Order: sequence, then structure tokens, then C-alpha cells
Amino acid sequence: MTTADGGHPGEQEPASGQGSQFREFFDDPRWAPALIRATVLEAAHPQVGAALIENSTFVMHPWRRLRNTLRSLHRMFGDDEPTRLREAARLNRLHTRLSGTDPRGRPYDAMDPAVRAWVVATLFESTVTMCRLSGQPLEQHTMERLYAEFQAYLAVMGDKAGHLPPTLSAFWLYYDRVVAEELENTEAMRIILYKLFDHLPAPALLSGLPTLWATGRAVAGPLIGAVTVASLPEPFRRRAGLPEMPGARTLMQGAYVTAGLARFLPDGWLRADAVLDVLALSPDSDDPRARAVTALHDRMRRAGALIRLVTPLPSEPRPASRTGTERSAEEFFREVLDQTGDGYLNWPDLAAMAREMSTRLDLAEAEETRLYDAYADWWRELQAALDTDGDGRVSAAEYAAAVPSLAGPALIRVAEVLFDVTDRDGDQHIDADEYRTLFRTAFHRDTAVSGGACTRSAFIGDFLSFMSGRRRSTPFDPLLAEA
Amino acid sequence: MDGNGRWAVERSLPRTSGHRAAEAAVIDVIEAARSAGVRWLSLYAFSTENWSRPHTEVDYLMRLVRSVVRKHAPLLHARGIRCRFLGVGDPRVPPELTRDFADVTTLTGDNRGMTLTVAFDHGGRGDIVAAARSLIRAGVPAETVDERSFAAHLPFPDTPDVDLVIRTSGEHRISNFMLWQVAYAEWIFPAVLWPDFRAPHFLACLHRYRQRDRRFGGVLPEQNGDPTT
Repeated sequence: MTTADGGHPGEQEPASGQGSQFREFFDDPRWAPALIRATVLEAAHPQVGAALIENSTFVMHPWRRLRNTLRSLHRMFGDDEPTRLREAARLNRLHTRLSGTDPRGRPYDAMDPAVRAWVVATLFESTVTMCRLSGQPLEQHTMERLYAEFQAYLAVMGDKAGHLPPTLSAFWLYYDRVVAEELENTEAMRIILYKLFDHLPAPALLSGLPTLWATGRAVAGPLIGAVTVASLPEPFRRRAGLPEMPGARTLMQGAYVTAGLARFLPDGWLRADAVLDVLALSPDSDDPRARAVTALHDRMRRAGALIRLVTPLPSEPRPASRTGTERSAEEFFREVLDQTGDGYLNWPDLAAMAREMSTRLDLAEAEETRLYDAYADWWRELQAALDTDGDGRVSAAEYAAAVPSLAGPALIRVAEVLFDVTDRDGDQHIDADEYRTLFRTAFHRDTAVSGGACTRSAFIGDFLSFMSGRRRSTPFDPLLAEA
Repeated sequence: MDGNGRWAVERSLPRTSGHRAAEAAVIDVIEAARSAGVRWLSLYAFSTENWSRPHTEVDYLMRLVRSVVRKHAPLLHARGIRCRFLGVGDPRVPPELTRDFADVTTLTGDNRGMTLTVAFDHGGRGDIVAAARSLIRAGVPAETVDERSFAAHLPFPDTPDVDLVIRTSGEHRISNFMLWQVAYAEWIFPAVLWPDFRAPHFLACLHRYRQRDRRFGGVLPEQNGDPTT
């Protein structure tokens, strides 16, 4: 699974596709710590860090983000050439929209080839390191093949060669130089190391067990942080002033070795995408596995209820019951509008919604642009109506003060465009398949459905009541609110 | 569950201690009803009119109910009792208590033993108004509304008609309790105060109920909630 099989260098086309070296790592549990490590190294790059802080939804919606990342990697390292090109084009469009300036006024641009090369470099280096740390180092020719695959990845994205060094030995010089000279102790990096796992929201499957989830998280959060810090390159730890804790290195190696031992599990037990799919299942989905999951979910809900009832009365006030179908303005702001979790509603929050929808629908360029434009118009409308203190963004208080005026013409326009792009065959009805593409579930009982299809007015009504009426339990909830 | 206050006054204790003493009676009656084979037991804990009591007493009641519910929830679940709470719509009910009610309902929702309905912040007229609202919202044409379809819009529509109402401490009023469901109920008014009410009193009431001749005004609707079967 991890050590090299046959395949000598030169014998095979050094590109992604059939027999991809990287694909063999997809379902490897060591990826869990390695992916966190790669993300930290990515975020330590000032440009990437700024882009993440400004635009990414990983704090509020980490599970959704992880699923999207894995699916994208699957496509990019899959066998199908057209899929790969299409995905590369999609990624490029997505990244074109991520640019701006960081709080210190330095520009960032997700299309900068040097930045993209660094992101790919952290993925490659973390893969190599995770093998080394778990005591099963890659052989030289395997490593070279893997490196060639990552170079091919950049090539598919349309970047000219040269931003990643041509040979593996030159790569290590490049990597050490960036680590020593360019990486910084960025805010994004600190959030990933010290905040993300302490506040990680429960995935849909476990949302009925907040107490248990919070307890496990309180133990696991600092551990994950310590393990990740210990696995970072020494020069960077020193420069960024990250703590050296006794035993952290042993703990870190123990974690990697343990994760590596999972290769002795039977085939088919470990499939990252399957695990994530199950975690994302909500009980009212109609997936074949949903019945089992619903039973499990019910049992967990009951266990959660029992745990809450037998815990001695806590002193801290508990969150209000989530069983109702309405939510307060603050809740709606936190769960739906503030996608990046910075406490403000800003263009990146709305862009994140447009991004999630176009990712789900796998939109072509023209439709994607229409959707983004509609969202941009809505943002201008929101800004004009809600941003009373003129700082260019909308705070939770500003939003709460002006909720009723939310459903303006621009929001209706968003709903219409969303309907148009969801309605693939243009018959003015969203049929079961189209509905499933967007919501990943079949028609819900309380959706206004006539004759097995959802009409334009019903769809738009649903969307508006979700976005303005703050109603829960619409199909839009899992799409935009869940972690 | 009347007479807590009087019970305390008789003993020169604060009213709150009467409420505290009621806990033992509640648990005893639940257990007695379950072992006597009663399938549906409803307790009237707090009416919508009780909000007019002194603020401190209401506050105390809320905290007491919460601790009682939490204390006995695992036991009720172990006995196979399905618990649910009728009412609880007022924003003055503390959210923690609502949460505990929801948790108990979730925990015991699949139990198939006795169904225990605790009327808390309940008012019979309010329920009927809620049913009427729900009918109008559902857009049911006026001609098609009959008693059965109306009852389907009441909260907890699976609740059968009440067969027997026991009102302790010698009060002879309905006090807005499950007005729709008590249409053909038999009433018994034992003089004993609720904190003193125990299993033997409950069984005596059941015995008297069995001896009554229930004619339902000459008609015989289905006795779906007969406690003796």
C-alpha cells in the first residue's frame, strides 16, 4: 500500500492517471495528520495565509471543505482525462476569484504560480514525510514518480514548468529555502493549530451528541495541535516561535506509526470518501445507508439526551433548544451568512456560498459567472441596506437590526439564477435528479412538489423563506448551514 | 395535583416545601398506575393560569421540576414509560427546562409501556384554539370538519379520551384541564391533599371507577383508553 511496488522510473508515463502513485495514498489514514500538517505549512505562507483567512470556510464548515478537497483530488488524480481538465478549469476559475490584500496591505493572489507551486509542494512533502515518520519511508524511485505526478498536477492547471524545480534534489533545496525564508507565523496558521480543533463543529452524523463531541474535542484538540507542531520542520518551528513540548515528538511519531498500522486492516475498510460521506449523512436523507444511519442517529440522540440528563447541572448557560423550526437572527448569521467565521458578513462569505453551489452543481463557466454575478449584486444590495457604520462589512448587530429588509430584488434574482442553473434541461421544473445534484437528497416531504418536480415559484419561495424567514429544516439547511 | 400549598400551611411550612413533598406522591402514583396496568396517565403539573402566582414561587417550581425530571428520567426510561410534555409553549418556561423536557421525550420516545403525559403550562382552551388554527392553516373545508378530524389537530392527537380524572384535596373544578378529552370522563374528588396522596389512594380511586356504570349518555364510543384493559 505504501512502499513501492514494481514500477521503475521511466517504465511508466510519469503522469497522474492509471496506477497513480499518489492515488495509493488516498485512503491511507496517515493522511489525516499529514493533511493537517500540509495545510499548516500552506497557511504559513503569507499569501496563502491571507487568502485562507479572507475567503475560506474551513473554520465554520470544515467537513464540507474537506469533502470538496478530497473530491477534487480524486478527480485530478483520476483516470479520466476530460474530468481532469474540467476540474482544473474549475479550480482555476475558483482561484481567479481569490485575490486581495492582507491586513498589512500586502497583495495576495491565488493564481500566483509561485504560490500554487508552494501549495503543491506542501502536499508532496507531507506525503513523503508521513511515510518517513511512520517508519515506512518511500524508495528513491517511488519518490521521484510521486514528484513527477505533482509536477503534472501543476501542468494540468496550466502553470508553466519552472515554479517547481525540475528534479527532486533541486526540490529539497527549494523547499528548505522557502521554509527558511518565506514562511511566517501567520494568523491562518495559528487558527489551524490552536483554534480549529478546539472549536471543530460536529459532522452531521454526530450533531445529536454535542456533549460527547465537545468532550472528545477538548481532549483531541490540543493533542492534534501538539502532534502537528512536532511534525513541522525544525527551522520553521524555531522561527515561528512554536512551543517544544517534552514527549511531543514521541507522541507525533506514535500517531503516525499507529495510523500506518491501519494498512493491516482488511481492504475496503478504509475509504476516506466513504467515511466522509457517512459522516455527512443527515437523518432525513434518502441514501440507502440512511436507514441504518437514522437508527444509529436516533440511538445517539437518545444517548445524548441521557448523557445530558444525568450530567450534574452545569453552571454555564446552555444553548437554546435547536428543535424549533425558527432560529434567531444571531444564529442565522453565524450558521448561514458568516461562512468564513470571522464574525462579519463580507463578500467572501457570499462568494463561499456561490462557490459551494457551483461546486455541487458542477457548473460550466458561463453559468458559474451568472451565479457569482447574482451574488455580487446581492452583496451590493446588502451592503447598501445593512452596512450602517460604513466599514464595508456587515456585523451581526447590523444584520439583526435590519432583518426584515433582507429579501430585496437582488436576493430574488439569486434565487432565480440558482433555479436556472439547477434546472439543467430548462423545462422550468426541477426534477428529482436535478434536485439531488443540488441537495444530495430526494424531494423532502414538506417541499412543495407537484407531479414529481419542483416548480420555479416553489423553489424560489423555499429559498427566500430560508434566506430571510430564518426557517430551519428546509433543504437549504444542509447545503449552507451544516459543518 | 392540588393541595401542596395547603399541606405546607397546615404544617406551618413555606409553600415551597409543599411542592417539594409532592415529588414523592408523583413517583408513587406513576409506579402504582404502571403496575395496575394503566396505559395512559396524565399529570396536571402547571396550568397556563399558574403563571399568575408569585414570581418567587413560579421560579422555585421551575427549578424543582427541572431537578425532579432529571433525577427520575433514567428510572422512568428503565421502566419502559414513554414520557411527553403537553403545553410548554410559553417563553417564560426556562430554556434549560424545555431542553430537559425535549431530552426526556427523545430518550423515552420509543418505549411501549405506559404513556405518561405531563401537562405543563397547559390550558385546555388553548389546545382547542391551537387545533382550530391548525385546521385553518391546513385549509380544510368547513363541511368536512367533524369531531374526529378536529381531534386529529389537537396536540398529541393519539391521546385517547380520558376515562377517569382524579382531583385531589376536595376541589370540584375542571380548571381548564384537557377540556376536549374529558368530555365523557368520570370524576373522583378525594379529600386527601396531593403530597399525602399515595398508591393506596390511587388504587381506591381505580376501584371506585370500575364500579361505576359508564353509559356515555346512551352511546358507546370506543373505549380506547380503558385503564383496566
